[in-house]
Amino acid sequence: MSAEKERDGEVLLEIKGLRTHFRGDEGIARAVDGVSYSVRAGETLGIVGESGCGKSVSALSIMGLVPQPPGFNAGGEILYRGEDLLQVSENRLRELRGNEISMIFQEPMTALNPVFTVGNQIGETVSLHQGLNREQAREHAVVMLDKVGIPAPEKRVDEYPHQLSGGMRQRVMIAMAMACKPGLLIADEPTTALDVTIQAQVLDLIRSLQESEGMSVLLITHDLAVIAENAHHVAVMYAGKVVEYADVMQLYRAPRHPYTIGLFRSLPDLAPRDQPLATIEGIVPSAFHFPGGCRFRTRCSLAQERCSAEEPLLEPVSSDGGHTVACHFIDETDSLRA
Amino acid sequence: MNTPAAGTPLIEVSGLKKYFPVKRGVLARHVADVKAVDGVSFVIQPQETLSLVGESGCGKTTCGRTLLRLLEPTAGSVRYSPEKGPALDLFSLPRAEMRRVRRDLQIIFQDPYSSLNPRMTVGNIVGEALLVHKICTKHDVADTVADLLVRVGLHADSRNRFPHEFSGGQRQRVGIARALALGPRLVVCDEAVSALDVSIQAQVLNLLKDLQEEFKLGYLFIAHDLSVVRYLSDRIAVMYLGRIVEIGTTAEIFENPQHPYTQALLSAVPHADPGAKSCRVPLSGDVPSPMNPPAGCHFAPRCPVSEARCTQSYPEHRSASETHRVACHLFD
Repeated sequence: MSAEKERDGEVLLEIKGLRTHFRGDEGIARAVDGVSYSVRAGETLGIVGESGCGKSVSALSIMGLVPQPPGFNAGGEILYRGEDLLQVSENRLRELRGNEISMIFQEPMTALNPVFTVGNQIGETVSLHQGLNREQAREHAVVMLDKVGIPAPEKRVDEYPHQLSGGMRQRVMIAMAMACKPGLLIADEPTTALDVTIQAQVLDLIRSLQESEGMSVLLITHDLAVIAENAHHVAVMYAGKVVEYADVMQLYRAPRHPYTIGLFRSLPDLAPRDQPLATIEGIVPSAFHFPGGCRFRTRCSLAQERCSAEEPLLEPVSSDGGHTVACHFIDETDSLRA
Repeated sequence: MNTPAAGTPLIEVSGLKKYFPVKRGVLARHVADVKAVDGVSFVIQPQETLSLVGESGCGKTTCGRTLLRLLEPTAGSVRYSPEKGPALDLFSLPRAEMRRVRRDLQIIFQDPYSSLNPRMTVGNIVGEALLVHKICTKHDVADTVADLLVRVGLHADSRNRFPHEFSGGQRQRVGIARALALGPRLVVCDEAVSALDVSIQAQVLNLLKDLQEEFKLGYLFIAHDLSVVRYLSDRIAVMYLGRIVEIGTTAEIFENPQHPYTQALLSAVPHADPGAKSCRVPLSGDVPSPMNPPAGCHFAPRCPVSEARCTQSYPEHRSASETHRVACHLFD
């Protein structure tokens, strides 16, 4: 991707041709199959796509958290500050995880350990990575809880996850993830399990922490509205591939890939009530049996012979090269937007 | 769309309450109640879509289930007007009669994975009610089921397959076919599209709309996704801690919300437009426990404009227009 030229921030994370596959009963599931994207220092990259498009697996691959087996790496590079995370030792990875790169998950109840206090869990990270003793770790936990906006942090620090509400638990997760001032925060559907008013609080929190700490965020979600308000750049994934990448404004003003256009048109947000919603016919193909050529062709109204014969690559469509699309018929996709 | 006309309502809910007792100790002493639904009233006209919106724990799902008597109510009444004959009070109907009325009142559940029996074929799932209610015989049930499956956009031969062979969207279609099998007049859609991806969600929403037109269905649509609600509803009721705080037509709620909670809720919804200026009404804190709701207006502790009187008494519903009611002391 050549988009990095236009922004000044250095590239913090660069993923090149990543392939993460899984062995299953039906053969090999190519969950992530040749994905490239990069995250610059201080920016938020949004990754959007529907269930099974590989967005979460690509994030788990960065953290080295893909269960192996059945998962395995089938190629590519994950460069974090120039270091290939797929090649480093497990020890080195452990040093980076939770320290340089940390992650928050969708379900804050299952991601927290129910038998330890939240102070314990936040403190564990810092005592591990920064060698703080028990007391210092607890103090640090109180500071972190305060930072993520939990009232009465001195009291909450000794509570267990079940004593907290869903929104509070997600704040604790964020406090844990932020405890070591990571360079990169991976947020995998961080607000999907939360109500809208709490979602707004949590997203505002992530944004303000990002600004004050200067970290990068990889925001993974299926929600186009969450992306619109929080990401600087967006990668749209479909069936294990990035099909479109652009600046958030460019993408929402003028999407070019037929899948992206279809996604926007199926949103009920702005649809007039007396007309049926536009839909994308059919369903996402199974990762065991992706169609050859363009993977979207089975659901695409523009598909022609070329689409099954030849796989489209991400090509620049804007003059600055910052907007890339993988489609053979980019010039015709405007007709879909009507 | 049809605005509530002055006809006989399809269903009339008044003062509906559902408390769940909380028991503690070896003697299981009754120590408190979770007031999941605490005095809810509304009507649904034939062919109308009323949406119940609110955050988790506000009682919207319990309200839908109690209305259908899937949960026994604590208090209140639900009057249902069948196509022929006098209106019936659902909560005082004897079992046998309630069973007959159930043909008219159906429900579609949120989770298409857990709401279909994995050991039954799709044909049996959809056909079961037809046999129970003796609408079909064993001989002709297969044809009726095939018609229903085709109507909801599945292949007729799906009836021999099991739920696990289908995707989420397809399973939800099976759930819809099951709800339609008996020719209902009111369908409670409990978060019926929440578990689906947007492109599939759009397909199912279109289907629900088409079916409403074709079979003249009334919908009680329970959802937390306000953009879906806006697209589908004729009227909207906003719930907070077991009570309706505001009810009105879709336009009234979205363009002229009067209750501070409705305003905050609407402002918290993100827009799929990166250029949109967000002017959030910040809401601090979480929804209080329905076991121990705050005195006075339940929303007062989180309300940005609350006054002293708000913590003293629960506000009465006031009319903002013929169709628009608000429960807030500050409204006049």
